[in-house]
Amino acid sequence: MGSTVVRALDGVDLSIQAGEFVSITGQSGSGKSTMMHLLGCLDRPTSGEYYLDGDLVSRMTDRQLAIVRNAKIGFVFQTFNLIQRTSAIDNVAVPLFYARKTRVRDAAMRALERVGLGQRGSHKPSELSGGERQRVAIARSIVNEPKILLADEPTGNLDSRTGKAIMEIFHELHRDGVTVILVTHEMSVAVQAKRVIRMRDGQIVEDRPMDDATRNELLTHGGAVAPREPAFSQPQAPAAPRMARPVKVNA
Amino acid sequence: MFLFRVFLMALRSLWVHPMRTALATLGVIIGVGAVVAAMAIVTGMSARAEAGLESMGSNRMFVSPNVQRRGQRTIGNFDTLKLEDAAAIKKECEAVRYAVPQVGSGGLVRFLSKNTNAQICGTTEQYPKINNHHVSEGQFITATDVQSSASVCVLGHKIKKELFGGRPAIDETIKITSLQGGRSFRVIGIMEEKGNVGFTDLDQQIIVPVTTAMEKLYGLKTVSVIIIEAISGKDDDIDLAKTQVKQLLRRRHTIRAGQPDDFQVQAQKEIVEQFNTFKLMTGVVLGSIAGISLVVGGIGIMNIMLVAVTERTREIGVRMAMGAQRGDVLIQFLVEASSVSFLGGGFGVIMGWSVAKAIENATRVFETITTPMAIMLALSMAIVTGIISGIYPAWKASRLDPVEALRFE
Repeated sequence: MGSTVVRALDGVDLSIQAGEFVSITGQSGSGKSTMMHLLGCLDRPTSGEYYLDGDLVSRMTDRQLAIVRNAKIGFVFQTFNLIQRTSAIDNVAVPLFYARKTRVRDAAMRALERVGLGQRGSHKPSELSGGERQRVAIARSIVNEPKILLADEPTGNLDSRTGKAIMEIFHELHRDGVTVILVTHEMSVAVQAKRVIRMRDGQIVEDRPMDDATRNELLTHGGAVAPREPAFSQPQAPAAPRMARPVKVNA
Repeated sequence: MFLFRVFLMALRSLWVHPMRTALATLGVIIGVGAVVAAMAIVTGMSARAEAGLESMGSNRMFVSPNVQRRGQRTIGNFDTLKLEDAAAIKKECEAVRYAVPQVGSGGLVRFLSKNTNAQICGTTEQYPKINNHHVSEGQFITATDVQSSASVCVLGHKIKKELFGGRPAIDETIKITSLQGGRSFRVIGIMEEKGNVGFTDLDQQIIVPVTTAMEKLYGLKTVSVIIIEAISGKDDDIDLAKTQVKQLLRRRHTIRAGQPDDFQVQAQKEIVEQFNTFKLMTGVVLGSIAGISLVVGGIGIMNIMLVAVTERTREIGVRMAMGAQRGDVLIQFLVEASSVSFLGGGFGVIMGWSVAKAIENATRVFETITTPMAIMLALSMAIVTGIISGIYPAWKASRLDPVEALRFE
């Protein structure tokens, strides 16, 4: 910023295999949102390489990145980000529209049914509860059958019961073979993944598989809940991220 | 198929704020409406005038006093042409077949309880031959009527309808009131429907003997115009007739060499050219007004689109996250701007057609003609306005950074 170099990510080296259920957690400013942007091909690293499904995406053009996002990545946001005054089924069909697919309504309906909202296709976001909106968002994220589902604080705006229901959907999708990457500051949500990556000051400080003992330890000692931060709504360090070593995500 | 879906998406977006959309299109509605109305009026006027001019043949000339306007001043003398000049032209100019003197002015006409305004035309028995305009009922004025300044008249097609409706008019008496007072005239004939010649509606005329008009209606000593027909439509004959008339009149008016004519001789061709120039000028003026309205309308659309881009920044970010390419975003907003403009154009066409019809009904002088070409042109202008106005907002939307857009509150 100005004459000061801010490293949102510094020396990150990460590999995620197809079919994994990973959570990335950390306090505000830890770099997890920047990591999410890179993994989701919304941004490019200042240096370093990012391979997604064997392709070097960190050198791709904007157009190529848009195609990759449409084909391989599904996003779920904390604030749902549904298009207002547009029905649920039309919201779900958005990725299909940009994929230039025909018969979009059939595919959109199937995705809605998969999240249990087959009867609510004609309802607009204002007519749905918070949990239902997030389910529509999840349906939208999977309608193109992506390789990776990236969820940024998916339960942040939901009560605990609804949050549980949403997490159950992620578990189901994971069981169906989708690679799920969850970004959250809530340790109680993070430990539900099969692997937890903890970040601090732009670096990975912990990366371990999840079992019951680890879960208890993180919940009790290492999992102090970070102050709630709406992931996309506060300006992060605007300088481009720098990664010294490659991040590979094999979808 | 993709563009069609983009168009449907655009219509949906416009429907979100219907009042805002309506206000944004106002400038385009007015601009397109002005174009359509103007073209309908000019086309209608031209068709009627040109049909009238064509039916009269190309070998006519008009001799009138040489009066010119210089700003507020008038230079020249209105009273230079005498009745006897016409007779002399007919007698002495071999290249001239007919020479018909005419005077004309307005008058109030009354029959029983019906009143109307009419154009009174004082002329001679040769009027039908030279104007190719004949009676459909009764008879025309005769040489005897002219010599005796008889109080007889022949009604134009529209005047007959207005005063008499469906009942017979021959041998009825009407009253014509002018500056000299009121006079009774016996109706001896009805003219066939003719339409406009230049700016004159021949169906709104009442024809009386030129001597009667000069002495009894207007107190005139001179005539307004002498209409001349050359022996043929060939350019040589027309030029010869023009030369002979000029030489004769200069002699009769004792105009010395080097002095300017106190009259002017205009061939029909020149009148047509003047009319065409008038048409062109009218088109340019009306087109300019329409153009300015469209520019204003375009600015309104650009403004609304910029507001929409700001309001929907986060939505744009979400779409990009879902796989929208920059080109997709650009097309979406361009189609929205064009759709707004096209809708405005549609309403503008309806408004323009209605205004033209209202003018037609109010003036009852000519029929307005709205052609498919005019509608296509107006709608095309609307779409072009939308595209031009939408380019900058659409470009701005397409250049948004997805990460920043998703963060936007």
